[in-house]
Amino acid sequence: MSRVIGIDLGTTNSCVSVIENGQPTVIPNAGGYRTTPSMFAISHDGKRLVGHLAKRQAVTNSRNTVHASKRLIGRRFDAPEVQKAIDLCPYEIVRGANDDPRIKIAGKTFTCPEIGGIILREMKRVAEEYVGEPVSDAVITVPAYFNDTQRQCTKDAGKIAGLEVLRIINEPTAAAMAYGAGHREEEKVAIYDLGGGTFDISVLDMSDGVIEVLATGGNTFLGGEDFDRMIVAHLLEKFEENEGIDLREDAMALQRLKDAAEKAKCDLSEREKTEISLPFIASDDSGPRHLQLEMDRATLEALVHGLVNQTLKTVEACVADAGLQPGDVDRVILVGGQTRMPLIQKAVGEFFNKGPHKGVNPDEVVAIGAALQGEALTSDESNLLLLDVTPLSLGIATVGGHFAKLIERNTTVPVRKTHTFTTTRDGQSAVKIRVLQGEAEAAAENDLLGEFILSGIRKAPQGEPEIEVCFDIDANGIVSVSATDLATGKEQSITVNATGTLSQDEIERIIEDHELYEVATKE
Amino acid sequence: MSSADAAGDRKDVRVPALAPDCDLTRLDLSPQEGFLLSRIDGHTPKDLLSQLAGLPPHDVDLCLARWAEAGVVVWSKAGPPATERVNGASATRAGAPPRLEANASSPEGESAAAATEAGSPAVASDLPALDPGLDIPEEAQQAILDFHERLERPYAEILGVASDADARAVKRAYFQLSKEFHPDRWFRRDIGPFKEPLERIFRKVVEAYELMSDPTVRAEMERSLGADAEAAPVEGADSADPKAASERAERRRKRALSPFSPLGRLIAKRKAKAKSFFEAAMAAVSDERWLEAAASLRLAVAYDPKSALYRERFGEVQAQAHEIRFAQLMKEADSALSFRDRKDALRIYEEALIFRPYDPEANHVAAKLAWLAADDLHRAKEYAMRAVEADPDKAEYHRGLGQIYAAAGLKANARRELKTALRLDPRDLEAKQALKSL
Repeated sequence: MSRVIGIDLGTTNSCVSVIENGQPTVIPNAGGYRTTPSMFAISHDGKRLVGHLAKRQAVTNSRNTVHASKRLIGRRFDAPEVQKAIDLCPYEIVRGANDDPRIKIAGKTFTCPEIGGIILREMKRVAEEYVGEPVSDAVITVPAYFNDTQRQCTKDAGKIAGLEVLRIINEPTAAAMAYGAGHREEEKVAIYDLGGGTFDISVLDMSDGVIEVLATGGNTFLGGEDFDRMIVAHLLEKFEENEGIDLREDAMALQRLKDAAEKAKCDLSEREKTEISLPFIASDDSGPRHLQLEMDRATLEALVHGLVNQTLKTVEACVADAGLQPGDVDRVILVGGQTRMPLIQKAVGEFFNKGPHKGVNPDEVVAIGAALQGEALTSDESNLLLLDVTPLSLGIATVGGHFAKLIERNTTVPVRKTHTFTTTRDGQSAVKIRVLQGEAEAAAENDLLGEFILSGIRKAPQGEPEIEVCFDIDANGIVSVSATDLATGKEQSITVNATGTLSQDEIERIIEDHELYEVATKE
Repeated sequence: MSSADAAGDRKDVRVPALAPDCDLTRLDLSPQEGFLLSRIDGHTPKDLLSQLAGLPPHDVDLCLARWAEAGVVVWSKAGPPATERVNGASATRAGAPPRLEANASSPEGESAAAATEAGSPAVASDLPALDPGLDIPEEAQQAILDFHERLERPYAEILGVASDADARAVKRAYFQLSKEFHPDRWFRRDIGPFKEPLERIFRKVVEAYELMSDPTVRAEMERSLGADAEAAPVEGADSADPKAASERAERRRKRALSPFSPLGRLIAKRKAKAKSFFEAAMAAVSDERWLEAAASLRLAVAYDPKSALYRERFGEVQAQAHEIRFAQLMKEADSALSFRDRKDALRIYEEALIFRPYDPEANHVAAKLAWLAADDLHRAKEYAMRAVEADPDKAEYHRGLGQIYAAAGLKANARRELKTALRLDPRDLEAKQALKSL
């Protein structure tokens, strides 16, 4: 039987893991690195570069280098998050045919699942080189707060990479699996996951290999890159103050500042003080200018204090969602490179009134958990079981633009729920069932997953017909909805296909396209 | 429903099913009847239907008999007369044909009690037989079948914990059962027809866990459970003693309706909902918002069909609401007619007839409009006939029907109606003329 790999498809870095003799192993790439930058570029001479190769040339080729595309995947072009990204990213983001954001580099347009697919394909290749045989099955992780469309798009990315995606699981849940595999005692665990682009918090209950997700929460647009951005803004300001030159429109300088900011941030996790030195970053009539400046931990902490507080608010809500007090949590696990920051360790420790658990590698634990879940699904040897939940509430739109939730968020799947609705007009013979996902009270503020019409309702005064709506989520997270007129027994149903994703045809076309390209590079 | 008590109080376990390809829309049903009809799924026996729909068994009998006559409902083969014995669980266990029987009343034997009284007829019907060809060991198949039979038991029994177990014990039991019955255990295996019962088991286990670990629900259960909180005695040993059998039946009934059982829990939940709708309705009544009050009361009745109070108030308020709506629509129709929009007027009249189907004047006008505005003589005739039926002493209505018959070329009928009109009102010139032109 071919092996299942676990892939943490991160905003900034990705990681792949496989189970060997019952033990999870993180697979290093050809360069010996255990994580691979989630970057894709087309070089000046038309070569396609992924991972470290893409990152290395990013400074000189920032317009044709894609990073952090995970922030765009599964969103609508008009979404505020996408508009924000357009302002921040050096590469071009254009409106696609399905109103989805697409990325245009070197004159070629890519969908976001396609970019994800390119990175996943690289991770697949890394794994295949290591195990020495083809790999096709994978478990891929996503932020807990990804909605159905974003998950579907990630699945599409897997297909594009030639992977059979056994399951999409939440990053913090994966981290919990990795922890739970080694700790069999009964514990309530909080996973605080601050990655490059997203923040997730999950509270879980585990005992002897069974992992129950009590609650999840998060923010898909808050992560380490926002910390970097705060530093970059600070550097820009300082430079303008000292030299009178505004670097905000200079793409190459911005890329250098970004790299320097990231490095300074990492340095300050280890040390109290660091030096930022960017020679020849600009020039004017009087000659070349250099950015030279010292930064201490306190300055950094003052810059990002607000971001950390933002995460703690989400943590508070999630713990309450789980029906717990912060003190009830037995263990706190930090995941994601950003949690190396002492300020975060201190703030989280203060919130839960206990120091965070050491002993997991925050960069690798998610991929390890994904591989363990793959093993749990396919092997009789595994003794792990994940009791997963729905990340967002599901329901239908009702009269007056309200959202009636049928399945509350954090409900264990598989689940089936029914509820009875009625008509709003006398003699009404058809109702439209609009299936929504989200937490907002107003229907319009939630994501529309699909809609259908139940017709042939017996004519009756308003409020008399009984229409039973049934929501069903199976273990694989596939949502189907049916509506039945109880008087006539007439039924209508759909399996929800997330909107805005690629059709099967499109996926096949993209796969073909990339296979052509693969052949081309081997020549 | 085990064979044990079939001897004592004989229950009617016949199972009605909907006839295939039957157009249900042609039936004219009250909401209660519609609700009853909606509960017929081909698995649920008659006596349970009466419980589910909250209707007296006699009413259910009448409805079912009527529908059977109309060809809407058929009695499934499963279990005609209650005395007939069909394959029980023990037979299946030996590898006999799949159990299609809804409520197998098992013959004697060790598994009788466990198999039958717990196995809900509503869900036990489609259980598969053991199949060595599947990608799941036969012991696991058997475990699914065995556990599935316990699904209608009280939650504590499903989880295998004492009814006063603490949260920790409940969670442990839940985790243990999840390990065994989570569908992921058979991920990508061909488990064939076992998929559905397996998912049902897991959903039920989750439900049991959630309700038993909800402190407010637990408190409520314990309050209303009172003295019955003792664990149910094991039964099935001495079915010979009729007194013991009837006592057992009584205990079983109590247990089925106790807040610990899924059914009892459901009923308690629905009652609470009904009450909140009733309160909303009464508030609406005091503000004379009759339409809103009627809608709320209708829901109250749907959720608690046994409450005489709700029904009675619903009857009154609905009548009031219908009157108001009817009057509103009549006004709208008048205004439509004043604009000479006869098609719109017809639509409004037809809507009004939903509220007062036998209003003679409304039927009479609707008939005329259907004839003149929509050129639909068939519909026109229906309305005109209903007007005549509702008030046979009005010459105008007979004349109207006669004219419609005449337009449709049914001369004999037309003459008869026009003559009746003239007999009732000899001065009806219009009728005279119409008769002449025939």
